[in-house]
Amino acid sequence: MRVEHLTKVYPGGVRALDDVSFEVARGEFVVVIGLSGSGKSTLLRCINRLVEPTSGRVWVDGVEVTALDREGVRRLRREVGMIFQQFNLVKRMPVLTNVLTGRLGYTPPWWALVNYWPPELIEQALRNLERVGIRDKAYVRADQLSGGQQQRVGIARALMQEPKLILADEPVASLDPATSHSVLRYVEELNRKEGITVLCSLHFLSLARRYGTRVIALKEGRVVFDGTPAEIDARRFREIYGEDAVEVEIA
Amino acid sequence: MRGGWVRFAGLLLALGAFAYGWRVTGIDLREVATNAHLIRPLVRDLVRPEVLERVPRVQEAHVPVALGAPPPPLPAARGPRVEVSSRSVRVGEAVVLRGEGFAPQRPGRVVWRDATGAPAPLAEFTTDTLGRFELAVRVPDTLGDRGAFHVTVSLPEMTWRTSETLRLVAERMVETVFLALMGTAMGVVFAVPLSFLGAKNLAHGPVGLAVYGASRTVLNVFRSVEPLILATVFAVWVGIGPFAGVLALGVHSVASLGKLYSEAIEAIDPGPIEAVEATGASRLQVVRYAVIPQIVPQFIAFTIYRWDINVRMSTVIGFVGGGGIGFLLMQYINLLLWQKAATAVWAITLVVALMDYLSAKVRERVV
Repeated sequence: MRVEHLTKVYPGGVRALDDVSFEVARGEFVVVIGLSGSGKSTLLRCINRLVEPTSGRVWVDGVEVTALDREGVRRLRREVGMIFQQFNLVKRMPVLTNVLTGRLGYTPPWWALVNYWPPELIEQALRNLERVGIRDKAYVRADQLSGGQQQRVGIARALMQEPKLILADEPVASLDPATSHSVLRYVEELNRKEGITVLCSLHFLSLARRYGTRVIALKEGRVVFDGTPAEIDARRFREIYGEDAVEVEIA
Repeated sequence: MRGGWVRFAGLLLALGAFAYGWRVTGIDLREVATNAHLIRPLVRDLVRPEVLERVPRVQEAHVPVALGAPPPPLPAARGPRVEVSSRSVRVGEAVVLRGEGFAPQRPGRVVWRDATGAPAPLAEFTTDTLGRFELAVRVPDTLGDRGAFHVTVSLPEMTWRTSETLRLVAERMVETVFLALMGTAMGVVFAVPLSFLGAKNLAHGPVGLAVYGASRTVLNVFRSVEPLILATVFAVWVGIGPFAGVLALGVHSVASLGKLYSEAIEAIDPGPIEAVEATGASRLQVVRYAVIPQIVPQFIAFTIYRWDINVRMSTVIGFVGGGGIGFLLMQYINLLLWQKAATAVWAITLVVALMDYLSAKVRERVV
């Protein structure tokens, strides 16, 4: 995956990304850190074009994402899983259906009219729920689940896509520390065992150190650090988070 | 200090407006008191609607005859009985009716009913001391090849039964509820697609925004026309009757449901839409899996609420020719039949209150 001179200016003049460039090798677990509003979410959304970049280019797996038409974007998106801070499940639908929606990019549109899913996809969805340890919740309404469970449904949904790349936008920011670790461990496992490249934004540096093979730090839309977690010392930390910041350990 | 003057001028202006309003609207509070006697009979009748009526108990019997067809079978006779001199008759033919088993020395009537059931009174009589009668009648002009002589003899004791008015009111009330239902259904059919076109969060690109603007304009224009006016127009167009009412309520429901629906769509959580879009789903799939599940409860609630409102409205719409109970009520009022009008008013009140209660219950459950 490669990002070149990526810039995003929102209508109203907010410069969310400012000439961001980096390259990610297959199988890396890249953590994007930075303060709220530093451009992390925008960066992730420019990669699957949920947000249209103002200028610059993005390549995923040799395909220039920024040059794709609508249909091309659709084909790209089905191979890029995404996990969200607010889980973004459809609350009134059963967990299983939420997981199955991960496959929509591959199924004929008219199946949706009658809510048809072939048995092998249902089987696959149940297996993915098994992997995140909540197969028994398959037929429960999504809003009956705890936050951590909902995020695991989100991961199972992304897994349905059999993705090459997972974009995780603050996946644990709405969860307590213990649950955060359990969720991130599932993501880490996918990265290690399946070789899925992960681009994950996180608030806490301690989590970034624990899970990232590499850290990219954004500040006001610019890359201010790109290296291994170990390289972030007290000076670098203050550069990223500001003079007054204090590093918080998350157990 | 300047603020004080502004406030004083404002107060004077408000007083002036109030005084002018009092004069142009002809408010005269004395009339409320001095003319109270004018509405006394009306109020008196309103509190005693025609629900039950006291009628004499009757004995009934009938005998079917044929006009140029094989005579139909006789009814199984128990109690009073009627016989006819010939069971194969022609129009204008004189026949003799003989009855027995009736109460002695009571007045009775003979009515002819043809195949349509329309009654034609033929004769009146009094039974003899043994409860019999004999009577010559002519077969009246009639439709079809069948008819029957119906005999009723009234007894001295009285009985209660539901009044003709109540039955008519009930019939029209049912018509009204269904009028409202059909109007609502028509509203739903057109409002659902319009609401998707008129939801800003689903409008993408210049074409989407143009469609959004157009559907919002259509909805706003239709909504600004009162259903009462629509009913007047449709009564001219398709004739006075419930169909005019259905069209009037339907058009109004399209507009108001369309607005409510599209606002429900605009209020949904964008998160799931983003998530489903991110899986590579098409627009149709996004609507099916991220939009519809979020709006179904609101759509159901709004629809039931609309039906409730439409029942209420259809009573008024009847006044201008939209059929249903309102039309009946207007006829009663114009003929100064206050007791009958009262029956209709009570029925409306009851049904509207009931609908109100039920729709609140259902809405509570789905949301």
